Order: sequence, then structure tokens, then C-alpha cells
Amino acid sequence: MAFLQAFLNGLLVGGVYALIASGMALIFGVMRLVNFAHGAFLMLGTYLGYYGWTLLGLNPYLAFPLWGAALFALAVGTYWLLVRRVMGASDFLQILLTEGIGLVLIGAAQLTFGADYRQINLPVAHRITSVGALHFSVGYILSFAVSVALVLALRQFLARTEMGRAIRAVAQNRTVAPLMGIRVERVSAITFGLGIACAGVAGALLLPIFWTNPTVGGPYTLKSFVIVVLGGMGSVQGAALGGLLLGVAEQFTAYTWADRYAEVVNFILFLAVLLFRPQGLFGGKGA
Amino acid sequence: MSRLPWWPTVVFFVALTSMPLWMHDGYILQLVFRVVVFAVLGIAWNFVGGYAGQLSLGHVAYFGIGAYAMTLSTERIGWNPWLGVVLGAVLAAVAALLIGSITFRLRGPYFALSTIATAEIIRVLVQNQDTLTHGAVGTNAPLLFQAPDLDAKFFFGAMPLLGGAFALATWIHTSRFGYRLRAIRENEATAMAVGVNPAVDKLLALIPSAMVTALAGSMYASYFSFVGPDTVLNIEISVQAALIAMLGGAATVWGPILGSIVLTLTAEIFKNYFEHTHLVVYGLLLVVVVVFLPGGVISLFQRRWRFRRQAGPVGARQ
Repeated sequence: MAFLQAFLNGLLVGGVYALIASGMALIFGVMRLVNFAHGAFLMLGTYLGYYGWTLLGLNPYLAFPLWGAALFALAVGTYWLLVRRVMGASDFLQILLTEGIGLVLIGAAQLTFGADYRQINLPVAHRITSVGALHFSVGYILSFAVSVALVLALRQFLARTEMGRAIRAVAQNRTVAPLMGIRVERVSAITFGLGIACAGVAGALLLPIFWTNPTVGGPYTLKSFVIVVLGGMGSVQGAALGGLLLGVAEQFTAYTWADRYAEVVNFILFLAVLLFRPQGLFGGKGA
Repeated sequence: MSRLPWWPTVVFFVALTSMPLWMHDGYILQLVFRVVVFAVLGIAWNFVGGYAGQLSLGHVAYFGIGAYAMTLSTERIGWNPWLGVVLGAVLAAVAALLIGSITFRLRGPYFALSTIATAEIIRVLVQNQDTLTHGAVGTNAPLLFQAPDLDAKFFFGAMPLLGGAFALATWIHTSRFGYRLRAIRENEATAMAVGVNPAVDKLLALIPSAMVTALAGSMYASYFSFVGPDTVLNIEISVQAALIAMLGGAATVWGPILGSIVLTLTAEIFKNYFEHTHLVVYGLLLVVVVVFLPGGVISLFQRRWRFRRQAGPVGARQ
């Protein structure tokens, strides 16, 4: 039973991972850019959730579209100001640039919010619901449900809308896409915005069941890239499945070995997949 | 090398080395000591990141290995700390061989992330080994020198390290080996076509890089007499190493020294005004360098002094 509990807990956490990693996969698939600032934007999402609740009384489970929109706008601005300039450059410079952007965001958060740990007390998030001998935190269930809904919506958006088609076209071929009348710069800006909005919303959804401080995002950058690799580079569906998988893998490690080694498992999984199955576990291609 | 004559180098090293003799301000000495240690770190990173163009963001692993090897061999086996320093360099070389032979199989962002992953694995293992490494709390590192005049002694201790790293960098810069590394950076397939073995040369660059980094790590830990996963295994140090080299000028001999001066002084100046500013400073410098000055600070001087042009800033365009 504990085994099943660990599995289901893993799925619940994995749902949020899936959302974070879908954003990373979208950016990577379309822009061929590894966003080292992903976790820092997630951290901003947690603070939006925090101040939204403490100052304005906005429940993050309902207000998340607002926080997503805010991060979308910030990301599009960042794209026009900075990221655009390294789009043709080597990945060496791209990584250093996004790392730099991440450091600025973390540093700015430390300056404005202080380095303290912060938490919100959302009564609904800490309620426990039981199914037989299995117990679930309502907060986890809500975060999972919203995340999965958003991942599915993102998928529909990519599959059905004109902009989604344009995004997929750019992912397939950056050189030919403009010949089909697609404005690659605009598509890139929107992709970057959407990808980061995913991270930001996930941050706001994690806040009620977790805590925040300016460096809370760090591990998520790595985790989401681990997931992107697991799921096959740049595939949003792959990333969604990879997120669930990583959540489960972490919970199993915590359950069978020790909580504190869960992180190591991520990295070992990451190296192993890159070395032995570089096309990803699900062999996906494209966004 | 560049057309820079030999005497500025000599003047620089003599002036720097003699500093404790004419400068008795402990704060300044400490600041310059930090500049020296981080310059060494940047020089070491440059072998792999600058010349070979492999973006390592995991150099803190070797830094930490140096610091922990010195501390734990002194504490657990009762060795002389200097023997521990040597052990650290040897272990770092072994680690570089292992880590390098795994991570160098990967390219671009995968390589960068795999270096972070290996460094993080080491950090988490150290953090959770309560019995051997004192876990997350960390422990006191042994002093390599005895009081009095610790500041001056550490300073004199760090200078041979800087001199050695500088000499090694100068050699790499002008040797065939250095040109092979640059060939790998510019185009690995072409390099192979002209008879370069990238797998071997990358490892040959990483091993001395890791050893020098480990030496800097043990010096740093002993100076601050502390080792802990959040200090000597903190990923920030990896970023700093890369930033220092890029800021000054990647794949140049003087670049990391310039970079360390600029970075350490900027961070220090801002620290006096606000708490928690160093990350903003690092981030802004990184962004500015990448977007506006990919050749680093040294490229400003190079244009003016008409040094012989080098192979161009690292990874400027694909």
C-alpha cells in the first residue's frame, strides 16, 4: 500500500513537473535554446502567488492565469531586449546569457523580498482526503489538476490554432518557416513567453504546498532539463510524460532509499539517458 | 603570444608578489588574495572553456575535492595539510578523468548540463555523508600557515599558484596543444579531419584544469578555515569561474586575471552599499559580456594596443 501511495504521490508531483518541463521543451524545441533562467522565472511565479495571496487575497489556484500573463509579458520583454540578440549565436553564449538573466532575477528577488523562506497558509491546500488507506493532500491534487489541464490546453493550442501551427513550423525548420510567411521573431517571442508562463504558473501552484525563497527555482531548471531529455528533446508530450516519470522516480527513491538522495537519482537518470538513449525514452521528435 | 613585451608581466608579478611588504591593510590584502585565487580559478577554467570551447559549469566539483581532501586527510588520517593539498590535486585529476570521459561524449548544452549534474551529485553525496564529511553543516578546514601574519603568508602562498597557472596558460596559448584545442572549439569534425583526437585532447585539457582548480579550492578553504557543501561545492563557484574567464577574455592568458579584478572589485563595491547584491552583479556582468562584449574586457585593450589578433572570441558565431 505504501508502494501505491508513493506511486500516486509521485504522479501528483509529476503533474507539476510536467507543466514546468513542457515550457522548457517548448522553448528548446522551437528556439533551440536551453533556458537556464527557467527556475528563476518559476521563482518569480511563487512570489506572485505569495504577494497575490498575502496582499490581495487572491487564491493561487484561481489567480494563476494572472500570474501566467505577467510572466508571459516579462518573458516577451526579456526576449526583445536580450535573448533575440543571441538567437544566431553558439549555445555557449546562449547558456551564459540565460544563466546571467537567471542570476539577475534571483539577485533582484533577494534585494526586494529578502532571502527569508516564505509560506502561505491556504486552508484548502493542507486538507487531507482519504481513499481507503490512501491519503492525499488536497493541495497536491489541485496543483496536479490545474497543471495537467494546462499541459493539455497547451497541446491543443499547438495542434489546433494558427499560432500553434506557426510554432510547430518554426520548430521543424527555422530557415524555411519564414518562406511560408511566418514571422519567426514573433513566434520565438511568443514561444519564449509561453514557455516561461508555464514555469511561472507552476511556481504559483507549488507555493501553497511548498515554500519559497529567491533560490527556490535552481533545482527546477535542472529537473526540467532532465525531463526534457527523458522525454525526447523538445517534444512537449514527451516532456509531459517525462515529468510524471521523474515525479514517480523521485518518490520511489525517497520511499525505498532516502529522501535526500532523490536529487541524485535525477542526475544519474539524466546522464544515463543522455549516454545510452539520447533520443529520449519515448523517442519523440519535434514540438 | 601577443606582442606584449615581457617586462609588463615581470613588473606585474613583482609588484603583486611584494604587496604584503608595502601594503599592511589587512582588508586590501584579503581582497587581493581573493582576486588571486579567483584568477587562478578563471585561468584553470579557460583551458577547457576558453581554449577547447567546452562550457563546463561543474568546475566547483574539483574546487570542492581540493578543499575536502585537504580537510579530511588532515582531520581523519592526521596528515600534514600540505600533503592533503597534494592529495586533493591527485584526486581531482582522477575525478577529471572519470567525469571527463563521461561528459565529453556530449555536446553543447548537454555537455554543460552534464557537468552541472556531476558536480551536483558530488555535492548531494557530500551533504548526506554525515559521518565522513560532516554533512550539510561542514567543518573547520586546517590552516596551511601559522599565525602571525596569516594574511601575508597566505598571500605569498597563493602567488606561486597564480604564477604556475599563468605559466601553464602561456604554454597552452602558444603550444601545438593549444592550437589543437582551438581547432576542437572551432569545429570538432574538421579538427578530427586534420588528425586531432578531440576525446584525448579535451581530457588532457581538463586534467590540469581540475588540478589547478583543486589547488585553488584547498587554498581558499584553508584561508577561510571552513569547508561545507554550500561554500566549496556551491554551483555559484562554477559560474564564477566561467564568468571570470569570459569577462576578462576567454582563451587569453591575461583575460582571467583582468576578469577576476573586475568581478571581485565590482562585487565588493556593491556589497558595501547593499546586502545580497553579488548575484545581480554577476548576472548583469554576464549579460553585458555575452551581448555586448563577447571578447571580454581584454578585447578593448587588444584593439587599442594592436596585439596580434587571436582566433576570435570563443564561440562568437556558429
